Amino acid sequence: MESNKKYWKGLEELQKTPEFVENNKGEFSESLPIEEVLNDAGLKTVTPRRDFLKALGFGVGAVTLAACQKAPVHKSIPYLIKPEEVTPGVANYYASSFNGVGVLVKTREGRPIKIEGNPACLLGEGRLDAVGQASILDLYDVSKLKGPKLKGENVGWQEVDSFVRGELNKIQAGGKKIRIVSSTINSPSGKAVIADFIAQYPNTRHIQYDAVSYSGIIQANQSSFGRAVIPHYHFERADVIVSFGADFLGSWISPLEFNRQYIRKRNIASLKNKKMSRHIQIESGMTTTGTNADVRIAVKPSEEALVLLNLYSALGGAAQTQKLSNPKAEKALTLVAKELTAARGRALVVSGSNDVNVQIVVNAINSLIGSYGTTIDINNPSYQYAGNDADFMTLLGEMQRGEVDGVFFVNANPAYTFGNQKEFSEALSKVRLKVSFSDRPDETAALCDVLAPVPNYLETWNDANPVAGYYTIVQPTINPVYNTRQAEQSLLIWSDNPVKNYYQYVKNNWERTILPSVGMSWKELLQKGVATTGGASIIANTGSTLQEGAGAAGTIAATSAPVASGARVGAVNIGAAAQNILKTSQALAQGAEKGAELSLYESVALRDGRYANNAWLQELPDPVSKVTWDNYVAINPKYAEKLGIVEFDNVIVKAGDKSIELPALYQPGQAQGTVSIALGYGRSKVGKAGDEVGKNAYPFITYTNGTFHRVASVTIEKGNGRYELAQTQTHHSFEGRNVVRETTFNQYANDPYSGTGKHEMEHKTYDLWPEHKQVGHSWVMAIDLNACTGCGACVVACNVENNIPVVGRDEVRRRREMTWLRIDRYYSIQDGKNSVTEENELKHLDNNDFEDVTVVNQPMLCQHCDHAPCETVCPVIATMHSTDGLNHMAYNRCVGTRYCANNCPYKVRRFNWFNYWNDSRFDNYMNNEFTQLVLNPDVTTRFRGVMEKCTMCIQRIQAGRLQAKIEKRPLRDLEIQTACQQTCPGNAIIFGDRNDPNSAVRKALDNERTYYVLQELNTQPGIGYQTLVRNTVEEA
Amino acid sequence: MAGHNESILREPLITGENITYSQITEDILAPVENKPNKAWWIGFSVAVFFALVWVGAISYTFWVGLGVWGLNKTVGWAWDITGFVWWVGIGHAGTLISAVLLLFRQNWRNSINRSAEAMTIFAVICAATYIFAHMGRPWLAYWVFPLPNQFGSLWVNFNSPLVWDVFAISTYFSVSLVFWYTGLLPDIATIRDRATGLRRRIYSILSFGWAGSVKNWQRFEAVSLILAGVSTPLVLSVHTIVSFDFATSLEPGWHTTIFPPYFVAGAIFSGFAMVQTLLLIARKVMKWENYITMFHIESMNKIITVTGSIVGVAYLTELFIAWYSGVEYEQYAFLNRISGPYWWAYWSMMTCNVISPQLFWFKKIRTSIWASWLLSIVVNIGMWFERFVIIVTSLHRDYIPSSWVMFYPSLIDVLLFVGSIGVFFTLFLLFLRVLPGIAIAEVKLILKSSSDQVKQKLIADGKIKPEQAEAYQESLEKFDSVDYLKV
Repeated sequence: MESNKKYWKGLEELQKTPEFVENNKGEFSESLPIEEVLNDAGLKTVTPRRDFLKALGFGVGAVTLAACQKAPVHKSIPYLIKPEEVTPGVANYYASSFNGVGVLVKTREGRPIKIEGNPACLLGEGRLDAVGQASILDLYDVSKLKGPKLKGENVGWQEVDSFVRGELNKIQAGGKKIRIVSSTINSPSGKAVIADFIAQYPNTRHIQYDAVSYSGIIQANQSSFGRAVIPHYHFERADVIVSFGADFLGSWISPLEFNRQYIRKRNIASLKNKKMSRHIQIESGMTTTGTNADVRIAVKPSEEALVLLNLYSALGGAAQTQKLSNPKAEKALTLVAKELTAARGRALVVSGSNDVNVQIVVNAINSLIGSYGTTIDINNPSYQYAGNDADFMTLLGEMQRGEVDGVFFVNANPAYTFGNQKEFSEALSKVRLKVSFSDRPDETAALCDVLAPVPNYLETWNDANPVAGYYTIVQPTINPVYNTRQAEQSLLIWSDNPVKNYYQYVKNNWERTILPSVGMSWKELLQKGVATTGGASIIANTGSTLQEGAGAAGTIAATSAPVASGARVGAVNIGAAAQNILKTSQALAQGAEKGAELSLYESVALRDGRYANNAWLQELPDPVSKVTWDNYVAINPKYAEKLGIVEFDNVIVKAGDKSIELPALYQPGQAQGTVSIALGYGRSKVGKAGDEVGKNAYPFITYTNGTFHRVASVTIEKGNGRYELAQTQTHHSFEGRNVVRETTFNQYANDPYSGTGKHEMEHKTYDLWPEHKQVGHSWVMAIDLNACTGCGACVVACNVENNIPVVGRDEVRRRREMTWLRIDRYYSIQDGKNSVTEENELKHLDNNDFEDVTVVNQPMLCQHCDHAPCETVCPVIATMHSTDGLNHMAYNRCVGTRYCANNCPYKVRRFNWFNYWNDSRFDNYMNNEFTQLVLNPDVTTRFRGVMEKCTMCIQRIQAGRLQAKIEKRPLRDLEIQTACQQTCPGNAIIFGDRNDPNSAVRKALDNERTYYVLQELNTQPGIGYQTLVRNTVEEA
Repeated sequence: MAGHNESILREPLITGENITYSQITEDILAPVENKPNKAWWIGFSVAVFFALVWVGAISYTFWVGLGVWGLNKTVGWAWDITGFVWWVGIGHAGTLISAVLLLFRQNWRNSINRSAEAMTIFAVICAATYIFAHMGRPWLAYWVFPLPNQFGSLWVNFNSPLVWDVFAISTYFSVSLVFWYTGLLPDIATIRDRATGLRRRIYSILSFGWAGSVKNWQRFEAVSLILAGVSTPLVLSVHTIVSFDFATSLEPGWHTTIFPPYFVAGAIFSGFAMVQTLLLIARKVMKWENYITMFHIESMNKIITVTGSIVGVAYLTELFIAWYSGVEYEQYAFLNRISGPYWWAYWSMMTCNVISPQLFWFKKIRTSIWASWLLSIVVNIGMWFERFVIIVTSLHRDYIPSSWVMFYPSLIDVLLFVGSIGVFFTLFLLFLRVLPGIAIAEVKLILKSSSDQVKQKLIADGKIKPEQAEAYQESLEKFDSVDYLKV
């Protein structure tokens, strides 16, 4: 057959030569020398010495070389079956809530990486504060407990369950008391779980204990109006705001919401309508709120209450008062009385005091000026704080008497926050069953037998009811990373609840109670994250009224719509309260005669100390002092001089047998004879980042008249040595330079351009460099100084979004913080009618008491100059201009000469001095693979030796453009938001396209108030600032 | 043409009894051909110790990162660029002496040009180490050269003064090196001719086959002149361009048109001071008093006085212009220099650079070995402060007061600087051991071996006016090798 043709390989095969035939016999044509090698001689060959040495040398050398390179194995495990909703590289957002504020959790490939406000949230309207922004890091905290513990042993949940149940049954049988100690719980489901638990174990009581409590307000309202609640304040409806030491923009009750409300009467839209609220702050220490005040008067804590009393009588109320000895307080009184009288029904008085009597007087004043029903809504109260100080003291007594046999700590840490720690731990030791639901082995957990760690809020189901009629849901975005279980779940199991699964419990609870009334399904709720039952009147401002244009109408409508109030509040009797106030003030002043009055405050970042292990918050500069990683004794420079104390001297603050030693910090604006110390520091068992940072000031809190008072009379002595605080800003006056431009409201009303420098002669400029043509987009930003309260939310948001390293205290001391966005804070000292802004002049202010201080907060970030000084000097073109107006930084090209940073007039460039990601010196941050999961995969981390700076969130710009391209449509205005803009509670930052005549940023930049920082250098910055406007009181 | 008689008033450039061509060779090659003396060993040990300190400091910096220095977010350059500019400035005297003075036929330069050129090269090496060291990622330093590459053919930024700097310094270094080596060729050949064994082979290679033929000499002269012509503009350009690093920037205190001449004058000032520092010791240790005479010392002191005064005028001009400009940032920058937290640096600079060289107006001081040496050190310190003042006090308080900071050097900063001086002296001391520290061939050109005899005979014969004869004898005394103990 033809197909069986035989091919020959060579002529030899064709001719079948004898050699070919012979060779073709075996498998291999040539015989292999196997025999030769395997014969005796071959096997017994002695390796010559030199060959041996060669082989040895090569072998050792090769192994050594191979071993030199540490090749870490990073296992990336692909999805075997791709989840339908997860697309690598595309973020998913889930609605959840943090402390009652609705949030959207951004997750990438199954891991949460960023928290943003939920636009549907009535409190935040899509905005979030610094604490909320930073909360994502707590999920990846390695200092947390990895599983339950029973008497110090690692055990499983079954052992814990059987032990606790057994104990509970024994306690139940013994008839002793059980107590659940928690910070405020406003979760409807959580409260229901506790109620169920109490039903099962009737000896149980739930005690709400807030470290920084608002018992004073709650009890005062009980006394004045019979309602033990915190009312819902409406700063956006007030034309005159008078705050007595309430830091409502920093930490008081609901700062995020109050920031938003406050700014509404001060932003571009409001100013355009020639409306601006007047804010008078009367306080002893300088707070974030104080920095924003139009008029700020420094008084001692003991005088605060007296001014209130006098104010009450000045407004026509009848009360026993005492004449004020302080002329400033007298002045404050006259001013406030006049302002409040003029603004009846449009005014609001708040006080940060936790003294019931003071709050009763505040209630009475607010009644007199008609605040109830307009600026204060007591019918739809706030549930954000419900702690009852007296309850906790009762518990302490019960424990001391041995009446309590079971105690559960939920989100409460009295071993740290209760003043007398020894008393507490001794009392606790008498309790038979001590269960801690802390996520970490904290101070209280250390005293407990059972540690039942709870997961992070991003791993849990829950809900919240921060304000009457307003509910939010908490849903998990990741499976619990550690072997943890929610407190509610544990309580359900231990109380043998028929529903053992808390998810099911929450769902049932909502489907039974809330969902029917709002007409939503469970799924809709999970999508939206929030639900409102009380109608629009609960929180007046809905929708994105913050935006200019549309905002103006909304604001005014909101302002003029008073709450339909059910129970109109009448006159309040303050007779007894006045007596008590006089007594307390006198005691405080007398106690401080040989020393000073101390006021304790919650820091904006760490709050009551629960966020102490969050490195982002530790490194967030205090909005006022710009100190990171420590608390300190804030003291007026003149008062310090009197005491012979120099800044950073260690100072011993003593009250009775309690004393702490902390460095002193000069705080302009601090009242003479007073000092302030932040709470929340000095944790001993919180984790790597927060342990032993600062000192614990809780011991100074005293329990008087049924509440914890955060003021005390103390003595001050100079301690040993000095301690340099790590400040991100060490020069505090702006030297009369026009980097900050401001005006007064009166001047602004006459001339909107006032203070911008626009009237000055403009000279012609000449350019050495060719113009950058930006034909497509031109990305720019507008920052309204009047809408910035300096809260620091943008700083943290920027850190999270852009993977900015935390450098730690020592590096901040060396002035090497890495933040791309900082908030510059400048003081100017009022000397008579002069405003002193130059540091050299301060030395000559001998007679000034440094109490009258005005403050400016100015967010400063890369200005994306069109004529960028950094771009011309880089030798390797690592930084260059884009066609859409951005100043780019190519990390890979940077060789690190730092010339760009030197030549940047705004000093916004940051150099990677170390390899912060992989250096054991930065162990308190991200030097482990678990915490690194928080990194934003869209932004590269930078190696040491490389310059970095604000990119205007180029990854977000790119994502937005791609989305628009995919959808084949032009980009919409505000579709792309930078991280700082997205979170700013005051909407002070607007990013957008200058080339779009209708864009919000274009409108903002076209505003009369716009100026550019250092515009005389012709750097042509891409960020325009709007002047600061102060609604000052013109003195007649 | 009548016989050429040298003017009796011309002072001899080489002094000493019985100086002959052979004696010159012996004298100058003594350190190269003999075992080093104790003084050299002591000096060398100290220098090597500090060089090792430098190796340690720079290794630590490279290993850990630039964070080990004292720099911060606002002050991005401090001791690094101060050291860089200082060393480049020191490197200036070499070229000035070898090129400019050659063109101007200043023969006295022949005794000092070799060492000054060597000093230039070593100083530029020290400066170059700072360029590498100050980079965040020094392993990518080659990116500052416009090399063909595969990064999409990415070029350097020709707008950046740092790139100009790279060109200026590398050009300067290569030209100086070639000039120096060209001058060395006849001398290396001399060593070769006198050496044996391995030494001979090495120097034979290094001498590039110098045969001492007329053609050799003719080309040698031609090349020297050409190189001098090439180098002369470099004397002006290098520090001009270094000053552009500051002058083209936006920083108040940097952005100044006066910088180029001011920097060049300062560089010559510091360069001559460093030549003084080195040679006053070298001439003693190497017993070269006959070659580097009081004439040289005095001449160099005069140059120091002139350049120091130019620098002083520049300082005052800066102050005036700052006031006159009416620019508040500029005004503040200079006010801050004078009275700010770094006032002591400014006034150290002023004292060392402007006031102290004025002492040289006194002949007694400028002809005193000790005073000259001390003042040369003072000038070196002053010039370091000048760069520190310009760099740090401008940066630490510029436009935005919130970013104002203080700069404090770290230990590594200090070790690196002290170490770089060690590196410099190590190189210099090694140079003295292996190559002639004075240009033998060139010195021989200026030896007037017979003129002294002739002049003495003329005097003896009474053919010279007595006052002229007296002046000549006096000059001999005055410029003769100075006994240190007597001074």
